[in-house]
Amino acid sequence: MKNINFRMKQKMNEVFSIEPNDLGTGYLTSFFKKTTSYLKTMPFIYVIPFTFFISIFMYFVLGRFLIKLVTILQYGF
Amino acid sequence: MDFKRFLINFLSSFLIVLKRSVGLISDPYKTMRKISMERDSYQLFIIAGLIFVYFKFIYFLRDKIYPATFIYLIFVADFLTMVGFFYLMTKFIGSRKNKKEISFISFIFTFAYSLLPTLIWFLSTSVLYVFLPPPRTFSLLGKGFSIFFVTYSLSLFIWKLILIYLALRFSSKQNFFRIIYMIIFFLIWFIPYSVFLYQFKFFRIPFV
Repeated sequence: MKNINFRMKQKMNEVFSIEPNDLGTGYLTSFFKKTTSYLKTMPFIYVIPFTFFISIFMYFVLGRFLIKLVTILQYGF
Repeated sequence: MDFKRFLINFLSSFLIVLKRSVGLISDPYKTMRKISMERDSYQLFIIAGLIFVYFKFIYFLRDKIYPATFIYLIFVADFLTMVGFFYLMTKFIGSRKNKKEISFISFIFTFAYSLLPTLIWFLSTSVLYVFLPPPRTFSLLGKGFSIFFVTYSLSLFIWKLILIYLALRFSSKQNFFRIIYMIIFFLIWFIPYSVFLYQFKFFRIPFV
């Protein structure tokens, strides 16, 4: 029982180690919390489709420059 | 006996590094919160060791202007400067209560783990350099690969941003706006410094 209490206290300290974010206005704070909640667990589920869409968009906007950019990036390591 | 204990500690830390790395992919928020409370220095040596192995590996692919160990030492200096900068910024802008709570070692651990996307990107790019050497062509396959590569790089970049934000959030315990200010102040000196690194051919893209 003592052990469970200790672990519970430890977990509570871990969870409340930082104060919740407050962006000034209620609307902004709730928008921020809603948006970031998707990124807290399994962010790649949202990130990969988003970046794929951005890449396709960049290809249509930049055209051949995108291919040149990839060549430059490949020399970047 | 001491060596046995060292080996057990090392292997258990290695397993923790693997677990935390998977956690940063699947559950970055909770994992970074745990990492900010970490005090096992073996984990830092394992991450530093993996990066050292990477620099040794790419030495054979680069122009061989500087020895791999020298480039690695520049990376370590950059890393410590970056972590020190954020730590001092937090000390400077934080409240009195906040100043007591923050610790330098927490910054070191969170920022060391946030190097994971960087290491993955640099390693995969160097491996791709061997198997699919640039320049890219304007053929259908070349265009397809370019879209894939940009998607991959952007995904890792967004992951890196998330990890940097969480590292600062849990180490500095500051709110969103203060973290954004700190990042802006960091970029003010880091972008010209990156140009310097590029001019002297230390890094084409800074390893941070």
